[in-house]
Amino acid sequence: MRDFDALIHASSVSSRHQRQSPLVRIEGLHLEYPRGVALRDIHLTMPPGAVTAIIGPSGCGKSTLLRSINRMNDTIEGCRYRGSIFLNDDDILEPMTNVTSLRRRVGMVFQRPNPFPKSIYDNIAYGPRIGGLRRRRALDEVVERCLRAAALWDEVKDRLEESALSLSLGQQQRLIIARTIAVEPEVLLLDEPASSLDPISTLRIEELIYELKQDYTVIIVTHNMQQAARVADWTAFMNEGRLIEFGSTDDIFTNPNQQATEDYITGRYG
Amino acid sequence: MVWLSAWCVSFSLIVFVTFIGTLVYLSATWVLEFYAAESVVDSVIMAFRAVFFPDSAAADFPPMLPAIVGTSVVVVLMSVIVAPLGIIVAVYLSEYAGETWYTELVRIGVQNLAGVPSVIFGVFGLAFFVYGVGGSLDVWLYADRLPSPTYGAPGLLWAATTLALLTLPTVIVVAEEGLYRVPESLREGSYALGATRAETVLRVVIPAAAPSFFTGIILAVARAAGEVAPLMLVGVVRFAPELPVSTTAPFVHLEQKFMHLGFYIFDISSHAVIGEGRLGLLAVASLLLVAVILVLNIAAIVLRNSLRRRYQTIEEL
Amino acid sequence: MMHEPNRQRQHISGQFNAELDAIKSNLLEMGGKVESQIENAAQAMSRADSGLAEQVLSVDREINDLEISIDEQCLKILARRQPAAGDLRLVIAITRVTTDLERMGDEASRVARLAIKRSESSTVRCYEAEIRLERAAQRVMAMLNKALDAFARLDMNSALDVVLSDTTVDEEYAAGLDALQRAMANERDHIPEFMDLVWSLRSFERLGDHTSNIAEQVVYLVSGEDIRHFDTAAIRAMIT
Repeated sequence: MRDFDALIHASSVSSRHQRQSPLVRIEGLHLEYPRGVALRDIHLTMPPGAVTAIIGPSGCGKSTLLRSINRMNDTIEGCRYRGSIFLNDDDILEPMTNVTSLRRRVGMVFQRPNPFPKSIYDNIAYGPRIGGLRRRRALDEVVERCLRAAALWDEVKDRLEESALSLSLGQQQRLIIARTIAVEPEVLLLDEPASSLDPISTLRIEELIYELKQDYTVIIVTHNMQQAARVADWTAFMNEGRLIEFGSTDDIFTNPNQQATEDYITGRYG
Repeated sequence: MVWLSAWCVSFSLIVFVTFIGTLVYLSATWVLEFYAAESVVDSVIMAFRAVFFPDSAAADFPPMLPAIVGTSVVVVLMSVIVAPLGIIVAVYLSEYAGETWYTELVRIGVQNLAGVPSVIFGVFGLAFFVYGVGGSLDVWLYADRLPSPTYGAPGLLWAATTLALLTLPTVIVVAEEGLYRVPESLREGSYALGATRAETVLRVVIPAAAPSFFTGIILAVARAAGEVAPLMLVGVVRFAPELPVSTTAPFVHLEQKFMHLGFYIFDISSHAVIGEGRLGLLAVASLLLVAVILVLNIAAIVLRNSLRRRYQTIEEL
Repeated sequence: MMHEPNRQRQHISGQFNAELDAIKSNLLEMGGKVESQIENAAQAMSRADSGLAEQVLSVDREINDLEISIDEQCLKILARRQPAAGDLRLVIAITRVTTDLERMGDEASRVARLAIKRSESSTVRCYEAEIRLERAAQRVMAMLNKALDAFARLDMNSALDVVLSDTTVDEEYAAGLDALQRAMANERDHIPEFMDLVWSLRSFERLGDHTSNIAEQVVYLVSGEDIRHFDTAAIRAMIT
C-alpha cells in the first residue's frame, strides 16, 4: 500500500483538461432496506484519476455501494442509511445535499444500455438541455465532443437524427457513456457496464475506460474478475455487505492479504 | 390451431362485409329510387347535393350536413377536453401517487365509472353542467340576457364535456397502462443525469408513453361518436338553424344546440313508419356516421403511428 | 500471505482442480526421478560403476520429456484458466522448478559420464576429495528431498532451511577442491584424472545451487515473497 498513500497525499493530479478529479472517501457507511442490511460499516477511499473496481459474489452489496455514491438508492422506498461519503470535502450523504446537482457531478452507466427513445443527438443533448443550454451551436459542440470521447463519433456522425434504438447494444452503451459525460461529471460510476455486451464490444468499452480515467475518477462494479484485473488500478473485494480487502489490483490478484479474498479470486468459495 | 384462427378471421370479415354491404345496398337503392335520372352518375350527384347542400333541393328530410358537422365538432371538442385531463390524471396516478390504498381506491373508482350506462352521464350532465355550471355562468357573465339562458341550457359545450366525462375512464386506464409499460430503466437513466422528477416525467416518460395516449383517444373517439342517449339531454336537437361553427367570431359557438348523426337516425326512425324509403335514408346516415368515425380514427392512428415510427419504444427491440 | 499448510480448498471447477493436481504430482514425480539420478550418479562415481552410469544417462531422457510436458501443461493452464493469486504463483513456480530440475538431471548425467571415464582409466585415488564428494552428494540429496517435501506440504520454514544449508555443500566443494589442488601439485601426471574429480565436485556444487533455487520458489509460492537475491540475514529473518 506504499503507492496508495503516496498517491493520496500527492499534490494535484494533472489531467488533460487541468481539472482535478475528486477523491471519493466512504466512512462508516451502513445501509439497510426493509428486507435486510445491505452494507455494513464500509470504510473505503478511492483514489482520484484512477479506476477502482469493486468485486464480490452476487448479493455482496457492490451495486448498492455504487448507487450510494450518487444517491440513487434514495429512489428505493424504505432505504435507510447512515455514515458519510466525501467527494473531496463535501459529504454528499448530508440531508441538505442537492441531489440533482450531485448527480451532475457523479454520473452513472447501468448494466443494460437504457437510451431514451429519442434521436442520438437528443439523447446526448438531454443532460445539457436540462442544465439550461439551449443554443444549437453549443449543443452541437457538446454532442460531437462526447461522441468522440466515447469513440462513437465516426460511426454515427451521419445519422445523429436517427433513433438511438437503432444502434447495436455495444454502440448503445457507448452512447450512454457519451450521454453521461455530456454533463461534465467528475466521477463516473459504472455498474457492470459490459455484462450485456459481446466480447469485442466489451474490450472496446474497456479501452474507453482506460481513456476516461485521465479525466474522471472511475468506479466500476464488475462480476468479471478478469475484467477487473484488466481495467482497474485498485480493487476492493466485498462480501455480505462488508469490505473485506482493498489494494492495488496487482497485489490483490497476485498476493492478497485475506484468505477470503484469495478464495474468491481463485474460485474456491463454498 | 391455425385453421381455427383462419375461421375466426373469415367469420369476422363476413360479418363486417355483410354489415357494410347491407348499408351500401340500401343507400344505393334509395339514391337510385329517389333521384331517378338518366344515368347512375347523375343520380349519385343529385343525391349528393341533396344530402350536403340541403337548400338546393326540395327536401323531404332534414338536412344531413349539419348533423355531420355537429358530430365531428362535438367529438373533436370532446377530445380536446378529455385528452389533457385524462393524461394528467394518469400521469399523477402513475408517477406521483404512491402505491397506497387510496390510490388503489381511485383506480377502482375509475374502472367502475367505465361501466356506468351512458344515459346516466346525460342526466348528470344536464344537472351539473347545464343547470349547475351553466346557470352560474349565466348569472356571472350573461345576467343581462336572463331569464333567457345562454350557457344555462343544453349546448355544444356541455355535450362535449358530458362526452368527455363519459370517456374519461377509458383514457385514464389506457394512458396509465402506457405509462406503466415505460421501463423503469428510462427513468433511472434520467435521474442519473441530474433531472428532477418533473423533468423526467415531462421529457422522458410522457414522450415514451405518447403512442398509448393516442390509443386512449382513439378509443374515446370511437365510443363517443356513437353515443346518442346522453346527448339528447345536453345539446342535440332535431333541427338547428345554424351550424355550431361559422366564419363569424368566436368561430365556435359553444352555447348553440347542434345536430348529430346518431340522433338524426333515431329521430327519423321514431317519427314515421319505417318504409323502404326511410330505411334507405337511415342507411345513408349510418354510412356517413361510420365514415365520420373512420376519418377521425384514421387521423389519430396516423398520428400515433408516425410517433411510433420515429421513436420506437424499447419493448419493441 | 501465508497459506496454512494442508488448507488447500477445492476449486469450484473440478477440471481446474484436476489440472493443478496433475502439474503438482508430475513435478514431484520429476523430482523423485532426479533424486534417484543424483544418488546413482554419485554411487557410480565413487564405485567407478559404468553400468550404473549408463542407466543414469538413459533415464535423463525421461527427465527432459517431463520438463517439456509439465511446461506445456502450465502454458495451457495460463491460457485457459487465467489463474490468480496462489494458483498463479503455483504455475509460475512450477515452470521455474522444472528448469532447475532439468538442469540437475544434466549435471547428474555429467557426473555419470565422468564415472564412465573413470571406470575405463586406471584408478587414481584422492581419498579426501572422494569423501568430500560423497558428503556433498548426501547433502544435496537430503536438501532436494527436503525441498520437494516442502513443496508438497507448502512448508515455508523447511524451504528456508534448505536455502540456508546450501552453504554446507559449498564448504564440502571448497574443501574437496583444496585437497585436489594439493594432489595435483604432487602427482603431475595424473592431473586429468584429478580434474575429473574436480568437475564432479563442481557438479554437486551446482546441484546444491539448483536445489536452493527450488526452495526459493517454494517460499515464493507460499508467501508471495521473491527471495532469490536476499542475503542470509534477510532469509533468517523470514523464518517463523
